[in-house]
Amino acid sequence: MQSSPDPESHESSEKQDLGALWWSVSDDLRAELGASTVELFLPNFRLTGLDDSVAVIQVPGSGYALWAETNFKESILSTLQKHIPACKSFRFDVTDEEAVLPVEKAKSEKKKNKAAKLKERVLTERISDEKLVERGRAAGLVDLFTFENFVPGQNSDLAWAASQAVANEPGKTYQPLFFHSACGLGKTHLLHGIGWASLKKRPKSRVLFVTAEQFSNDYIDAIQNNALVAFRKKYREADLLLIDDVQFFGRKEGLQQEFFHTFNRLSDLGRQIVLASDCPAGEIRALEDRLVSRFQWGLSAEIHRPELETRAAILRRKRDDWSMLVSDELINAIVERVQGNVRILEGALIRVAMVTTMTDEQVEPARLDDILSDLVGSGASSGFVGLEEIKQTVAEHFDIEVNVINGKKRTKRVAEARHIAMFLIREMTDLSLMDVAASFGKDHGTVIHAVKKIKAECSSSSSMKGTVELIRRRLVRGGSSLESKRARRSSSPKSGSQNLDSNSYRKKFSD
Amino acid sequence: MKFQIEKDVFQDALNQVQHVVSTRTTLPILSNVLIEADELGLQLSTTDLDVTITKRISAKVSKTGKTTLPARRLASIVRELPTSEIDFEVNEDNAATVKSGPSFFKILGLPSEEFPVIGEFGEAKEFTIDQKLLKDALRKTSYAISTDETRYVLNGVNCLIGEGMLTLVATDGRRLAMVEQDLEFPAGNETAVIIPTKAVNELQRLLGDSGELKIALTSSQASFELNESHLITKLIEGNYPNFRQVIPGAANHRVTIEREVFLNAVKRVSLLANEKTNSIKFAFDDNRLAISANSPDIGEAEESIDVRYDGPRIVVAFNPEFVMAPLRNLDQDEVFIDLIDESSPGVIKIDEPFLYVIMPMRVAN
Repeated sequence: MQSSPDPESHESSEKQDLGALWWSVSDDLRAELGASTVELFLPNFRLTGLDDSVAVIQVPGSGYALWAETNFKESILSTLQKHIPACKSFRFDVTDEEAVLPVEKAKSEKKKNKAAKLKERVLTERISDEKLVERGRAAGLVDLFTFENFVPGQNSDLAWAASQAVANEPGKTYQPLFFHSACGLGKTHLLHGIGWASLKKRPKSRVLFVTAEQFSNDYIDAIQNNALVAFRKKYREADLLLIDDVQFFGRKEGLQQEFFHTFNRLSDLGRQIVLASDCPAGEIRALEDRLVSRFQWGLSAEIHRPELETRAAILRRKRDDWSMLVSDELINAIVERVQGNVRILEGALIRVAMVTTMTDEQVEPARLDDILSDLVGSGASSGFVGLEEIKQTVAEHFDIEVNVINGKKRTKRVAEARHIAMFLIREMTDLSLMDVAASFGKDHGTVIHAVKKIKAECSSSSSMKGTVELIRRRLVRGGSSLESKRARRSSSPKSGSQNLDSNSYRKKFSD
Repeated sequence: MKFQIEKDVFQDALNQVQHVVSTRTTLPILSNVLIEADELGLQLSTTDLDVTITKRISAKVSKTGKTTLPARRLASIVRELPTSEIDFEVNEDNAATVKSGPSFFKILGLPSEEFPVIGEFGEAKEFTIDQKLLKDALRKTSYAISTDETRYVLNGVNCLIGEGMLTLVATDGRRLAMVEQDLEFPAGNETAVIIPTKAVNELQRLLGDSGELKIALTSSQASFELNESHLITKLIEGNYPNFRQVIPGAANHRVTIEREVFLNAVKRVSLLANEKTNSIKFAFDDNRLAISANSPDIGEAEESIDVRYDGPRIVVAFNPEFVMAPLRNLDQDEVFIDLIDESSPGVIKIDEPFLYVIMPMRVAN
């Protein structure tokens, strides 16, 4: 909260201090007693005061107080003392739901309303445009990704509407808002857009955009430097928290726990959280159930592939933004041929524009097939190979089901198929050993063994080499419409050698 | 006052009432039993001011009257008397002569007027239930009553009557025993009281396996009438903790165990329970339960029994006494243990509406 003459602000900042302190105490307690125990016996407990040396802990029921005191008195006290050296003992303050008199409830409600109004006034204070951009950049927002630059279409109408609702009234409508889609369809753009729009509306609010990876790195740094308090302050006091690529939370237990608390804290305070992932929450690997259920709690909006008209609209917008000399007919021709995600579309546009500038004449639609030969073609036209796609193709080759490859069966045929799949995934994607192993439900050692074995067999047996090459060729030609973001990231020469990186093209172009 | 009575009848009656009498009391009259003789027989009463028990027995009364005599002493004399007929006579100075065959005793008593009058019962909610039902329910819960006097609300059985059910609960914060029995009662009679330990113990002594009893409850007193006996007790005033909060929800894993086999194994292993932590380990694994104890200075014990269980391996430590208590007081051949994980409470259940929550001990490794 910013400066304010109201005496309540002092009180509430004291409360916030206690609150922040309590979060660290409660985390330590969770570590000491186990999270499930804390949830069972101290649900929603709060540190509400400190009378002399006696800490007052609020619990929502007499039963909790009795069992917590009988069983965990020493643990609670020693944890309290670690954070509050002056604390000599503690007592429970029981707030049975029934015990709260309606009158008191109304009173506290009123107080809350007043505080909320005050806060709203502070947050909506106007600032200059330069300051606004500065604040946005500091929050991790990218200038380009605004709502104005987004081209909504049928494919994204739900996500688009939800984004605007959330930007208008953060924390009131959908908590959390969860976007998922294949890569390159605009999740990140919408996240940034929400950030900008919300900042414009309430310039003084704390907006924070991070990728899951940044969040993870911050967390690890915080642990290393013993700076968890600062870390929590950063994330748990945000008014709007935007996290991209949350699928990377999968399999990171400590991180998930930290994020769980962050999530609870923010939603308790009525702050807005917006998440984006490349798959639905339920499909994120090794994500704790309690997080999955929280992700699914608010609104999940999927962004689909843009249909023809939207694709054309997007490219026209890009053309105008970049002042390219590409006619509408040409754009129509491009979007008819190229059906992939927006990045690929942009890549195609850039390439066509470049040919135009180099040859100084408009490209004939008929020539497009040549120019865009690698982008035009079957299915998703992503040109890249994903883990699931490899598994699918291998399974097809061996005429077995994919779930058999993922399963436990170890007959010769299945084991061979599994080994080849592991080998190809390692060869053709940049997935880590752990990722590959996890996708098979195996140990990473198993993957190492499989890769070695197939490599050895390829050099000793020509039939094995033939099989592997056959499947590889099938994959490169693109047999399946499956697509994986991670696989795409691997613009390694093995998988998509003839592919042009649209970003590097764009750079060249704008230079 | 003069009467003749059969020794066995008198001895039984004295035994039933004498437990209430406290051995150390500042009021001498409280160690005495009030004996009232009328045309129909005798009425014996004892009290400690909290719990009062009255028992009617038949006797040949030739002269009515009342007196008080030291309860324990009288009981031990009657127990040792040689013949089955006892002649009893009390004079105005409350000196009683007891004659039985060749034996003669003279016991000095106190005037009956000194005996505290039990307060009148106000407007009460009344119920009639089977003795056996209450006896069973008390047996299954009373061992979990807390003996910690600083938490006086826990020094009794919490008895809730409502929603067509009689619910009895006892807990000490480390374990909790609960029984729920269907009970029909007049609408508007919903209530919740805490019956103190002493009354619970006396009640268990009085209750039989057949017949009914009449319960009357006010906000501060309870009365139980059965088989010529009448027990009146003060209730513990205060709010019993909301025990439902600590009963775990759906469990992940269920173990089925033969009760006696389990009880005996725990009993044996507990002989070497760690004295410091007073805990023994229970390792549940694929249809086996390994119970083990380890005392660094004494030695170790392990016993493995067959159970029905197909979940993952769970190792959890409990206080053996807390495990044995419900097992001793149940009759079922099989019990179920519901587990969530190693640090969450375990729940012992049977086929009937009973459950027992037990807190695991936290031990290293």
